[in-house]
Amino acid sequence: MTQGSELVIRVTDLKKHYGDVKAVDGITFEVARGEVFGMLGPNGAGKTTTIEVLEGLRPPDSGTVEVLGLDVLRHPQSIKQRIGVQLQSVSLYPRLTVTELLDLFGSFFVHRVPTKDLIDSVDLGERAKAWSMNLSGGQQQRLSIALALVNDPELVFLDEPTTGLDPQARRSLWDLIKGLQARGKTVMLTTHYMEEATELCDRVAIMDHGRILEMGAVSELIGRRFRERAVFFDSNPGLPVDQLAHLGGVTRTAQEDGQTVLYSNDVAGTIGALLATADGLSVEPRNLGIRQATLEDVFLDLTGRALRD
Amino acid sequence: MGTLLSLTVANVKSLVRDRAALFWTIFFPIMFVFLFGWIFGGSGGAKISVGFVDQDGTPASGALRQAFASVSLLSLHDGSLDSEKAAMQHGEVSAVIVVPAGLQDALVQARAGNKPSIAIQLFGDPSQNQTTQVVQGAVAQVANGFNLEAQGGSAILTVSQLTLQSTNISSVAYLVPSILAMALMQLGIFAAIPLVQQREKGILKRIGATPLARWKLVGSNVLLRLMVAVVDAILILGIGFVFFNVQIVGSLVLSAGVVLLGAASFLAIGFMLASFLKTEEQATGVVQIVQLPMMFLSGIFFSFDFLPGFLQTIARFLPLTYLGDAMRQVMVNGTQVAPLGVDLAVLTGWLVVCLAIAARSFRWE
Repeated sequence: MTQGSELVIRVTDLKKHYGDVKAVDGITFEVARGEVFGMLGPNGAGKTTTIEVLEGLRPPDSGTVEVLGLDVLRHPQSIKQRIGVQLQSVSLYPRLTVTELLDLFGSFFVHRVPTKDLIDSVDLGERAKAWSMNLSGGQQQRLSIALALVNDPELVFLDEPTTGLDPQARRSLWDLIKGLQARGKTVMLTTHYMEEATELCDRVAIMDHGRILEMGAVSELIGRRFRERAVFFDSNPGLPVDQLAHLGGVTRTAQEDGQTVLYSNDVAGTIGALLATADGLSVEPRNLGIRQATLEDVFLDLTGRALRD
Repeated sequence: MGTLLSLTVANVKSLVRDRAALFWTIFFPIMFVFLFGWIFGGSGGAKISVGFVDQDGTPASGALRQAFASVSLLSLHDGSLDSEKAAMQHGEVSAVIVVPAGLQDALVQARAGNKPSIAIQLFGDPSQNQTTQVVQGAVAQVANGFNLEAQGGSAILTVSQLTLQSTNISSVAYLVPSILAMALMQLGIFAAIPLVQQREKGILKRIGATPLARWKLVGSNVLLRLMVAVVDAILILGIGFVFFNVQIVGSLVLSAGVVLLGAASFLAIGFMLASFLKTEEQATGVVQIVQLPMMFLSGIFFSFDFLPGFLQTIARFLPLTYLGDAMRQVMVNGTQVAPLGVDLAVLTGWLVVCLAIAARSFRWE
């Protein structure tokens, strides 16, 4: 996985507490050069705190944090010259234009990319002279990514880059992020969208309550827990789960978002048995469907909760 | 330096493009100058009221009084030297003419072939230049006529000019430096709003994630405000001069120094407020709560002496009291509330204390 390749992030037993709140409670992980690494978890899991420690915005309480081979506490300035940062929901100087903002931020760095190239790379050419306050949500996020790239960074941090965007804007941002990886950049992002993590990340760390519960490639995380596929339908009191756990092929069951989920290694057999049982009880399983297990199922399995609640 | 400059340019653009901010920092004080200038300034075509002090009390001085009374521009106001000087300080008269004792004697001497000389004293307000010049002209003319009439060519009467500063609400010269003081106060205190706004929006934090040194972020804000202070000063004093004939009689260097010290002190207050305020709404409210009472209690629009005792006590702690006082002393030679050294010391004190508090408590996010 990361063996043999150069590490750009190395975090060992990082802790960050705010009073009694253990925002980050002893996490250890590494990211190799060229990887897209995602932190997936619900709000309050500690993702943003972690990423802000890595960016040099907050000091860790304990543990060691190395970015690009440098200690974040001892060399924050050298690190800041070489990383790109996009913070969660920042609006910028509202009355400066896209071009002016990129010029301004570029002036903070020794090494800088020409503003025009940046504007082209995030496809904001038509809005180059627009005030940032007049951009749409998706355009603002693209500007914010362009600002993270002004110094041609080796490592880019994206904190919930698509939160609050409509599906189309999200898709276009995903393409942009994939483009970063194609250009050889290492990307660390946080998200609470499992589709996003699945789509973009080489490896994912699932976080909850300040701890990393599981880490690895998405397919690996799913495969590690679920060889089965999921049969699901709208939960119905007339179809008690305990009666279904013994159906053919079912390995385990779960309740999630008003749905009953049966994990099965024999989908055809399970559905046949389910329909027969339902018929016997004179109920109909509504919105019946089948899917591969997803990161959502992994999260549910790890925490007993759905990711979005 | 390059970064500081580009950040300052960004701040200037943000200010210039924000019409509300621009109104408060530049147009509002200018509006005040015109408003107060028109209300209190224009003597228009009306007569100039002049105090007349007759210390001779003889037929000769009576004749001289007649001569002055016949000048259509002047309206005479008789009284003792003390009462007329007081009247001038309260703005009831614009100048005071004093005819000293010995006029009659001098005339007698002149007839006997001697060449006596006696000086009429004229008190004028140097910052009220136009009025003073008119009165000077009239006095010189009357004295000339008197000399000619009295004895062939020998100048018995001379005019010695003295200055007396009036400090009263009707004087535009009092108001112009005061309005500049108000503008600097608002400029500094209002600086809290964009700072809180930039913190609330995460701009300060975002810039904190770049290698930019924090002092440059603060420095660019200070530079912007000092630049606006200079613009305000030039506009307000310029308008005072062009439209209302108020001249700076003191040192320009000292005036500029007081402007910058005043701006810096109030900027420190603004930064201190920004340290404690969390949201833009809060900042907007608190800034008004601080600046409005200060504006009315600091004796910048009317003399301090008009305030009831307990308000005077409050006013003695307000930095604007001292900035206004320093400005008037330095610019128009105004009578002082406190010695200039005290004014400057109080302003420096506010600057140091507020800056120390801001440096300790300011939060970047």
